[in-house]
Amino acid sequence: MKKKRNESTETVTEDQMEVIANSQNEEENEKKSAKRSKDSKRKAKDTVSDDGVLRPVKLSKKELFKAPTVEELSQLKEAENLFHCSILKMQMEELLKEVALSEHRKKLVGSFVQQVTDYLQCVPESEVVELDDISWLSGVEIPFLLVPSTAKGKFHMEPPASINLVGSYPLGTCIKPKVSVDLAVTIPASVLHPMDAINQRYSRKRALYLAGLARHLSFAKFVGSLHYSCLHGNRLRPILLLKPPGNDSSKVTLRIHAIPPPDFLKPSRFHPLKNNIRTEWFTGVANTQQESSEPPTPHYNGTVLGDHLPLSHLQFLSAISAQCPAFGEGVALLKVWLRQRELDQGAGCFCGFHASMLMAYLLSTHKVGKTMSPYQLLRNALHFFASTDLTENGITLAKNPDSKAPSLPEFHAAFSVVFVDPSGHLNLLADMTAFTYKQIQHEASLSLTFWDDPTVDGFQALLMTPKSMLRTYDNVFKLVNLVKLQTSCKKLLLLNELMDHSGNYVLAALPFILSLLQQGLGERIHLLAHSLPQDPEWPLDSAPPKHKDQPPLSIGLLLNLEHALSVLERGPAADNPKAAEFRQLWGSRSKLRRFQDGAITEAVLWTRNSISQKRFIILKIIIHLLELHADIPKSCVIFVGGQLDIVIRRGIENHTTGEEESLEVVQSYDDLSKKLWQLKDLPLSITSVQGAHQALRYTQVFPPVPVRLDYSFFDKKKNHLGLVPKEDKPCPCYIAPIKVIVHMEGSGKWPSEPMAIRHVKAAFHICLRELLCKQHNYRCHATPGYLDVWKDGLVFRIQVAYHREPQILRESLTPEGMLIYRDNAEAQALELETLHKPFLTSTLHGLQQQYGCFGVVCRLAKRWLASQFLLEYIREEAADLLVASLFLHPAPFTPPSSPQVGFLRFLHLLSTFDWKNNPLIVNLNGKLTAAEQTDIKNDFVASRESLPTMFIVTPNDKKVSVWTKEAPSVQMLQHAVMLAAESLRVLETQLDSGEKQDMRVAFRPPLEAYDVLIHLDSKQVPLLAKAVDPPANTFQRGTEAEQPYASGGALPVIDYDPVRLYLSELREAFGDLALFFYDPYGGTVIAVLWKPAAFEPKPFKTSLMNARRVEVNDDVATTVPNVEAILQDFRITGEGLVKRLDLRTEKWVV
Amino acid sequence: MKMAPSTDQHARVIPGGFTVLSLRFSEDDSHAALHQLCVKEHRVRAESNANRPLDRTLFVLNVPPYCTESVMTDVFSRFGPVQSVELSEKPGASAASDSGVSSYFTSRRRQCFRVAYIVFKHASGVKAAKRHPVNTPLIISSTDRPVRTGIRKWIQQYSDSLIKASSLQQDVDQFMNNYDKQKEKEAERQKQEAEQQQEDEEGWVKVTKSSRGVKVRPHSETANERTLQKEKRKKERKELLNFYTWQHRNTQKEHIAELRKKFEEDKQRIAVLRAQRKFRPY
Repeated sequence: MKKKRNESTETVTEDQMEVIANSQNEEENEKKSAKRSKDSKRKAKDTVSDDGVLRPVKLSKKELFKAPTVEELSQLKEAENLFHCSILKMQMEELLKEVALSEHRKKLVGSFVQQVTDYLQCVPESEVVELDDISWLSGVEIPFLLVPSTAKGKFHMEPPASINLVGSYPLGTCIKPKVSVDLAVTIPASVLHPMDAINQRYSRKRALYLAGLARHLSFAKFVGSLHYSCLHGNRLRPILLLKPPGNDSSKVTLRIHAIPPPDFLKPSRFHPLKNNIRTEWFTGVANTQQESSEPPTPHYNGTVLGDHLPLSHLQFLSAISAQCPAFGEGVALLKVWLRQRELDQGAGCFCGFHASMLMAYLLSTHKVGKTMSPYQLLRNALHFFASTDLTENGITLAKNPDSKAPSLPEFHAAFSVVFVDPSGHLNLLADMTAFTYKQIQHEASLSLTFWDDPTVDGFQALLMTPKSMLRTYDNVFKLVNLVKLQTSCKKLLLLNELMDHSGNYVLAALPFILSLLQQGLGERIHLLAHSLPQDPEWPLDSAPPKHKDQPPLSIGLLLNLEHALSVLERGPAADNPKAAEFRQLWGSRSKLRRFQDGAITEAVLWTRNSISQKRFIILKIIIHLLELHADIPKSCVIFVGGQLDIVIRRGIENHTTGEEESLEVVQSYDDLSKKLWQLKDLPLSITSVQGAHQALRYTQVFPPVPVRLDYSFFDKKKNHLGLVPKEDKPCPCYIAPIKVIVHMEGSGKWPSEPMAIRHVKAAFHICLRELLCKQHNYRCHATPGYLDVWKDGLVFRIQVAYHREPQILRESLTPEGMLIYRDNAEAQALELETLHKPFLTSTLHGLQQQYGCFGVVCRLAKRWLASQFLLEYIREEAADLLVASLFLHPAPFTPPSSPQVGFLRFLHLLSTFDWKNNPLIVNLNGKLTAAEQTDIKNDFVASRESLPTMFIVTPNDKKVSVWTKEAPSVQMLQHAVMLAAESLRVLETQLDSGEKQDMRVAFRPPLEAYDVLIHLDSKQVPLLAKAVDPPANTFQRGTEAEQPYASGGALPVIDYDPVRLYLSELREAFGDLALFFYDPYGGTVIAVLWKPAAFEPKPFKTSLMNARRVEVNDDVATTVPNVEAILQDFRITGEGLVKRLDLRTEKWVV
Repeated sequence: MKMAPSTDQHARVIPGGFTVLSLRFSEDDSHAALHQLCVKEHRVRAESNANRPLDRTLFVLNVPPYCTESVMTDVFSRFGPVQSVELSEKPGASAASDSGVSSYFTSRRRQCFRVAYIVFKHASGVKAAKRHPVNTPLIISSTDRPVRTGIRKWIQQYSDSLIKASSLQQDVDQFMNNYDKQKEKEAERQKQEAEQQQEDEEGWVKVTKSSRGVKVRPHSETANERTLQKEKRKKERKELLNFYTWQHRNTQKEHIAELRKKFEEDKQRIAVLRAQRKFRPY
């Protein structure tokens, strides 16, 4: 892993160097070349800017006001009425163009199909052999798991009766990227026997016939590659995958199905309640029971019956699609929608064929009109999903089914989801679990809400964003070692199901395991979804993979945070008849308990202490239930989630991840706030007390922890002013001041000059200090700017504010005596501190109440930003807002309910958001209306150049983006985007692989890119223990492990972090020459990157001499940075802190 | 790095008239790299600042951040007695210093490279400095006068930041007293002026030159704007909308124009997205 990381970082390095070196030029050049190439391709329209940046459209008056044509009018009207705006329509059209097959591709497919058809017509005949005898298939394996190994019957090869194109290609609903064309090869009737329906005889003959075809095709020269696979994970329906040779191999896949003659077996034999697999044959044990008592085999029946119908289904669909011109495009959109949700492949999927059938159903029942557009078709299909529960009320396409066809209730008895085909005998969705259908329903209704919301980019959310399991579900469990499911089949007594699924124990056990989990998790979850077992692919000369060789099965959960973390599962009262059921479900875990309300009920109690541990309760439940009921050992269940907790954990020994600490801080703050309100004898009354610190909105990466001091560790300053660090001791523990803004009431007594206001505020600090000291015995320290209060082992920094002060700072008088207001940096900074910060803090505090894991996601995100040296360039508040947007605008997902999924989506947002063309709108409290948002977007496009690179809009800040005004720069943002994409890739592959791996990899910054590394003495790094990789040796930092005092005691060393002081000195002195990077949470390295522009020799000027040296050549004095002296200065300024400098001189020359 | 040969005992003067002096942090590290100070006599066409007498002031470029006024005084005393040292971030007129404000309320100084104006007691100091050879470096931190940097400096800083509330209170009181007195004087003056404007017994009003500033409250920009807008709104209210046929036609035309504009905008957006290959769903 390490190695891989290195490689990738190297590319980062180069890119970054380039970027910083001459990003502007580079970019422009790229754009130019791109432009040129594009021009040659198609005549670029002059209105379109080619550099990927939106510019305001300028149309001449003449163009705008010319008389419209009828056509144009109707087009404009349609766009206005049907869609939110014309852009959605255009987007859909573009998408359809993108997925449609080109003429060239169709020609290729046509000729390839013709070649294969001609070749297959001349399959040589072979001798008649016993069905068990497969020796004639020399070199080619039969694509069938021969369990049980014996079967009666005879078989021989013969050329096919007919070869037809079926499926999506002839229907015109085939779309890119995986173009697969279905070719149905009809097995001649003479090969089959009417009694083949039972005991898999037909299926085995089918597989043998396919193997025969494969053997024949393996001699053909025009075939690129040949593989076996099976249809929708059904091992009874193997298929042959053919690809053309050479470069065309990725363009099309030909799927060869072997099918019986259409009327070979009567459909009534495959009634879902009939048996076609005999227990005696399947188990090999002589059966004494009557044949009539044999269990029904609906899935097997459906499989055999389904082979008879492809041609008639194609006929049916062609007839329907001919009536509706938009049929093909509508189905294509639905297929894209399904594919983005990973619903279109594998066992129990809702594939393209089902999508076509559904559209046909909607058309034939007049739920959609024949003249509707593709967009309307998709919308109606989603509406149908959302409103119809096929697990309860199945639907049928059969107009007048014959008398022998099964009824809908009979279908419901045999299958969980029912959608009957036009013949009336076959359930199209036989393999689908009820959970998958519920997932489709959930997705559909979610999609509709996004579509109806004018502020969401519906197109992006519905059709363009892939919803992978890891990023969609709050928790994901993986079942590995699937062979254990065999034992659970035994435990659950699933012989009949096993027979029905012809030995596929995964498919047989799956519905039972899922409903067991659903029962156990109950209210804790909103949705339980599972990955669909994918179709295996294997070469001709190897035996088919076993059932146990499947990739792990993933189960995704959407949590209901109200109940998900509850430690108690309260069951029915002891005398209730349902109590037995409850006891049966939970086994020995269930105990009788008496509750405070007097009730005595069955209950299950999970003992967990911290919130982070409570997140594992669901894992406990799943392991317990699976072990108890399905014999699946603990080792088979892998929980994806919680692996990232380590990076925000408080210490090595405690297992809390900081949520409790945040709560403690907030409680202490509430107490302080109450006391401030109740202070007597203040000259002016307090109008508001507001928190302005991250810890007060639960988003501080490492929330302040109450400490008790070891006084001997410090020097004391005289007059009891407070403690001072000792020079020879390690740096004392860092005590972060928690900022609180106290607004004083307005009064005529406030002076109207900035300097005087500052003095009055200082007087207030002194006054508050005395009152707090006298009335509550808190140790305080007043300064002109703030007042520090030492309380409960925490330090609160109170800052008095006067609401008119920013206004007064902006005032000035013109010579004419007019009062004008001009914005200035000082006023803005003050407003940021006293207005924006407290407001943001209280709003996000509210968000945390609404979404329980907002704070943790923020903290993970900021931990990552910090570890990648980005937190000093993307402000904490900006990061908080980015995360808030994930919760407020989750489309196409639901708001995250676990830290991990939130973090993954944060990385995804950061790496994919198009900052160049879009503002990120964070609609806090839903205060922005749709119209306002449109205005914001238009204003943004109109004045893009003058706005910050990262433009974040909130209801209180529509024009400025206060948190990103200064930073990041274009280069830094680009760097962040690259790092985010890389980290996301690394993390997702690690989480997906299901093995225990080091999650910290994504939190280790690449150091190869930098020119100088300043290694710090870890003794003087106060937050050392919080580092991503905390060192083994820790230092005593003047704290005691006991309960802190509530008040009194000497004032501790507050806000003293030598590394921060060092950094600020470095930046002030050498900010023009270099960039400095540091992880503020326990980093021991400062990375320095020279600014290449500053290193070019410049002519001597008095204003440009700082840290440079002079060289004289031919009477012209030029200056270059005095690198050696600068490096010397790095050491001098950081005396006692800097351990050594690591120079990467190969990158630059002194 | 090109160093001056060691035999050269002359001052190094570069084009532009500056003499290059080298600077070493402490005596111990004799191999360490040196900063270069560029010095020249202070000479501007019109010096208004009385604190920088032209003949006695030395102008120094590239002063490292750890050199404070006292350090500079020590270092340059070897050329002659130093009267004062002034450090500023940029060359040019010195910023107006906040007089009458206690040290608690002045803003912190940035720790960056600066320029210095060193005023010697005698003009000879300037000349001596300009003659100083480049290969004899000046020493900043000596054993008897060490300069604190790093951890020791920060601890000192922290210790200094702990201040007594009573002394702060004292400063605040003093400032506010001055402020109040000033305000009182101002009020007095205004009152007098207002009185002068009153009619005397015989009904005469004295018109003085300074009467312009008498207005009690200055009219403000926002108030101006408010009245302008009010008038505009009034005008708009009087206007009739969609009354004449041509007006009606115009509104319709504008609606279509707006739709068209939006259409064009959308088209552009799509083109941009297409260029970025944003329509590939997977």
